Amino acid sequence: MNSFYRKNGPVIATFFLVAIIFWLIFLIVIPQLYMLDLSFRPNLPPLLRGGPDDVYTLTHYKHFLYGSETSKDAYNYVDIGVFLDTIITAVLVTVINLCFCYPIAFYIAKLATPNTARLLVLALVIPFWINELLRSFAIRILFAGEGVINNILLELGLITTAVNFIALDIALYTGLTYAYILLMIFPLYNALESLDTNQLEAAKDLGSSTLRTHWRIVIPHAKAGIASGCTMVFMLTAGALATPVVLSSPNTYWFTQLIYQWFNMNDNWSRGSAYSIILLVVSVTFVLLMMRLFKVTIGEVVR
Amino acid sequence: MKPNLAIQAFLGLYILIFFLYLFGPLVIMSVTAFNSAEFPAITPWECFSFRWFNEGKIAYDGQRLAGLVTDRPLHEGIISSLIIAAGVVTLSVPIGMAAAIVLTQVNSRLRTLFYSMSIMPVLFPGVIIGISTVVLWDRIATLGGDGFISELGRNGIFLTILGQTCFISTYCFLIFVARLQRFDTTQEEAALDLGASQSQVFLKILVPYLMPAIGSSAVIAFLASFENYNTTVFSILSEQTLTTVIASKVRLGISPAISALALVIICLTLIGAFFYEISRRSNQRKKDRENKVKMFSEVSENRLVEERPKFFRIPKSIFVFLLLLILAVLTWQQLIKNNMYGAECVEKAEASKKSNFADQLKLLQQNAESVETTDESEGNASRSNEYNDIFGDQNLFKDFGGFDSDKNEESENGATRSNEYNDIFGDPNLFKNFGGFDNKE
Amino acid sequence: MSAEVELQNVSIAFGNFYAAKNVNVKIGAGEFFSFLGPSGCGKTTLLRAVSGFLEPSQGKVLIDGQDMSGIGPNKRPTSLIFQNLALFPLMSVADNIAFSLEVRGHDKKSRRKRADELLDLVALNGQGDKKVHELSGGQKQRVAIARALAVEPKVLLLDEPLSALDLKLRQKMRTELRAIQQRVGITFIYITHDQGEALTMSDRVGVMNDGELEQVGTCYDVYEAPCTPFVATFVGENNAFFGKVEKVESGKVKVQTGGSSFIGQAGLGLDNKNYKFKAGDEVIMFVRPEAISLKGNSKKAQNSFSAEVKTIEFEGNLKNIFLRSAEDVDIRFSVPSSSDTSGMEPSKNVSLSFSQDNAVVLPTGALALD
Ligand SMILES: Nc1ncnc2c1ncn2[C@@H]1O[C@H](COP(=O)(O)OP(=O)(O)OP(=O)(O)O)[C@@H](O)[C@H]1O
Ligand SMILES: [Mg+2]
Repeated sequence: MNSFYRKNGPVIATFFLVAIIFWLIFLIVIPQLYMLDLSFRPNLPPLLRGGPDDVYTLTHYKHFLYGSETSKDAYNYVDIGVFLDTIITAVLVTVINLCFCYPIAFYIAKLATPNTARLLVLALVIPFWINELLRSFAIRILFAGEGVINNILLELGLITTAVNFIALDIALYTGLTYAYILLMIFPLYNALESLDTNQLEAAKDLGSSTLRTHWRIVIPHAKAGIASGCTMVFMLTAGALATPVVLSSPNTYWFTQLIYQWFNMNDNWSRGSAYSIILLVVSVTFVLLMMRLFKVTIGEVVR
Repeated sequence: MKPNLAIQAFLGLYILIFFLYLFGPLVIMSVTAFNSAEFPAITPWECFSFRWFNEGKIAYDGQRLAGLVTDRPLHEGIISSLIIAAGVVTLSVPIGMAAAIVLTQVNSRLRTLFYSMSIMPVLFPGVIIGISTVVLWDRIATLGGDGFISELGRNGIFLTILGQTCFISTYCFLIFVARLQRFDTTQEEAALDLGASQSQVFLKILVPYLMPAIGSSAVIAFLASFENYNTTVFSILSEQTLTTVIASKVRLGISPAISALALVIICLTLIGAFFYEISRRSNQRKKDRENKVKMFSEVSENRLVEERPKFFRIPKSIFVFLLLLILAVLTWQQLIKNNMYGAECVEKAEASKKSNFADQLKLLQQNAESVETTDESEGNASRSNEYNDIFGDQNLFKDFGGFDSDKNEESENGATRSNEYNDIFGDPNLFKNFGGFDNKE
Repeated sequence: MSAEVELQNVSIAFGNFYAAKNVNVKIGAGEFFSFLGPSGCGKTTLLRAVSGFLEPSQGKVLIDGQDMSGIGPNKRPTSLIFQNLALFPLMSVADNIAFSLEVRGHDKKSRRKRADELLDLVALNGQGDKKVHELSGGQKQRVAIARALAVEPKVLLLDEPLSALDLKLRQKMRTELRAIQQRVGITFIYITHDQGEALTMSDRVGVMNDGELEQVGTCYDVYEAPCTPFVATFVGENNAFFGKVEKVESGKVKVQTGGSSFIGQAGLGLDNKNYKFKAGDEVIMFVRPEAISLKGNSKKAQNSFSAEVKTIEFEGNLKNIFLRSAEDVDIRFSVPSSSDTSGMEPSKNVSLSFSQDNAVVLPTGALALD
């Protein structure tokens, strides 16, 4: 501490300390801890907080598992269903994204000429700067009852009446895949770019087939990038709100929408917090899983 | 690596499909912004018009389908988004910088912990950051009594700034860490040795070195803040930002005005990308030239003949532009030929809808009761009631007139409006859509 | 204005590792003093203790008799030229040089004036508005010197400032540095692992090995009268004959090495007295390459031996001849290029001799690795 002050001088050192403490403690740690605390408390009006009724309780987590006391079902099939749906879809979206992006990332990193590669990268970035809501909106137009896709399919005679893509959740899945595709490509691209092209040539020289070369050389090299891309895409998909708001069908819920409901419509903040904690736990577990699975550090995951 | 022809062709096709997937939706959305129909679509194409950029249109149920220029909530949303973005930039850039600098100074064990904590926020779902900020500050506001603190704790803009700063600081942090990795710390020591105080070292050596990172992190922070939805929707409380306005619009019913807004944003992005590329190229050229000069001055025998730069080199991208231009001209001609452009066309379309409506209205009047009972969707029924209400309530029309005070022919407006409301009856599609949304609410 | 620098029992530890061990030296005002030692021996560490970036773990640094502990680098009357120069790449040359004036609040005009003066001093007139990256290596070097001198330090510390330059430029800069030192008249403490640099420029040299200061003396002393085997082999080339003392008489030591025995002088110890040997002591006898000659060329050469020629190396002004003696000791001696070496083809046996005055006998110890 002393040497920190000596090194930076009193003014700057104080600025550093204030900025960091403000951020790490007041913006990151305390809000999360308070939310964790709140999730274990009953839903009370603000004035009763801290009063005799404000005790620790598991009701909200119980509600997630078993539903409200008046319901007849043994488990809260609705909420658990939404939750599992969200997680499974997020995993699927991640896997699809990975398969879809890998060839592109490989092409840009290794096969394209530097100029082409740069232009492609720029072209990839542009859609990313357009609001997620608007991108989902574009997908919605595409999949609308009289949208382009329906029209093309009708024209081709593949279908006879317009398909309601939104009700089928096809629009939602497409939108989710579309939304975070960049966050898959860039880590992959960065990882693949550092691969020495000579290694590929050596493998080819030794008679390895293209597939085998990828399996044995390219993919192990891109391990950190794959882990990073998958983590980011999964986290963002599982925690997405904008895309489901625009694209989910009236009878499908995303888990974040459930949280939103508890929070804003039903004004049950502590239950909203509890559901948030559940989502957070899943997300963190997923990160740890990826770190373990790919044997990478957290620093390699977030770059 | 030279893949064979089949693979190459396959790869080319794949890339084409990929970019089609990436840009197709955006292009189609952009095109729909010019269709005068009230539902964003390419087919059926009504008229080419700029109405969604300008005045918009009043829809059947009395709801105003505002164009960009007349959309007051949108403007207010943009202003609060700008305020929030400014606040986020002023907080998160210094925070990211401080954290990145301190990261270089702490010992290695502390560093891992510190780094992990700093990047945690990007691994948290955005909704959670928003929620935790709100619940904490609500508590603080409650405890703080009636004073300033309680006001602050319930101020959506303030909370949004804090919530966004939480994770946007991490973006800035990562940018600064990357730049600092290439910093030669002996420069700081040299400055100290020359008598500079620690603050002077910071201001005169470190900050100038970090300037590019400060610039890019400010841009990133601004954009990230501007387009954030997940955190904002919770922390904004009763206020509105650009993204929450867009979200509520999209939820209420999809309007081509949103396409128009998207097109504006796309154009801004393209312009930004264009200038970025230009400046990058000119920088590169400058650097190349400097290197060349250096090489010449160092090679004493000037054996290399300097290549004279060509005065003008046609970039390949010009062909793309030409192609686009030709396409645009062709479409334009087609539009003109089919009389699908301009106010006249719009008027004609409205008129045809009106007459269409007149027929239907007669039908409706004849079967007034049967409409109530036989129509398949209950939404439709309640709607038609609403319309009756609207017709009955004179005040409402005044209200709407007041909305666009820039138009003075109020009465005439009212007249055309009432026609417009009626158009809807001719368009059953819209009803379906609205019904669907209502269920969700 | 120059100052005297004194290190008293200075030890510097990084954890358990001592980068400097109990260093004692007193450097006079206006002296050009060099620390010479192999890479990693702790030279930079020592210099950082003098300039204030490090506090010694034990001992004291005195400048002008004043204890410097607790005084930061920006408050000491020293100026350091870094191993990598550490010029500020975002500033112009003049801004670099005048940086120390800028932080002391001098106005623009006086800063510019001083910068121009210093640019004159280092022969870079009119280059003040260039950017640092537009300069050549040697010019950067001079800017670094000018920048360090701008504060008017009492002591200038130089950490291998010439190591990045090519040979020709290095030699040119040596003379220039020496000239600048004589012009400004302040104390220079110079660090190098290149003994040629140390010997040509310095008034006195301190030879370091493994954190310890092995010998301090004038260039002549260090070369001609090394105190330890390390100094003997690190400073200049030397032939080492390992052996045992046969007998000692009147300052002369007779050493039995392999089959033959040679006579030499007992070397001087750190206390400036000759080592006292007695029969049976393990010793090393050092003979400089230039002290060896073909037998018969020199009357005074009392010691002689025969060896087989291995290779002959041409090194501009000198020829180095590598041989292997009958006792399997590698020998190297040099003759001027002009001398006739026609009789010495590889694998031929020749007889060599050297004078007892040129042979230094020292107790055994670590040699410098080459
Ligand atoms: N900050 C430090 N922490 C731990 N060990 C250090 C540190 N700085 C230097 N050392 C160690 O101290 C020893 C001396 O380092 P120093 O930099 O003084 O060498 P040097 O003589 O200047 O070498 P060179 O000629 O290569 O510059 C080295 O073994 C080095 O590894
Ligand atoms: Mg060093």
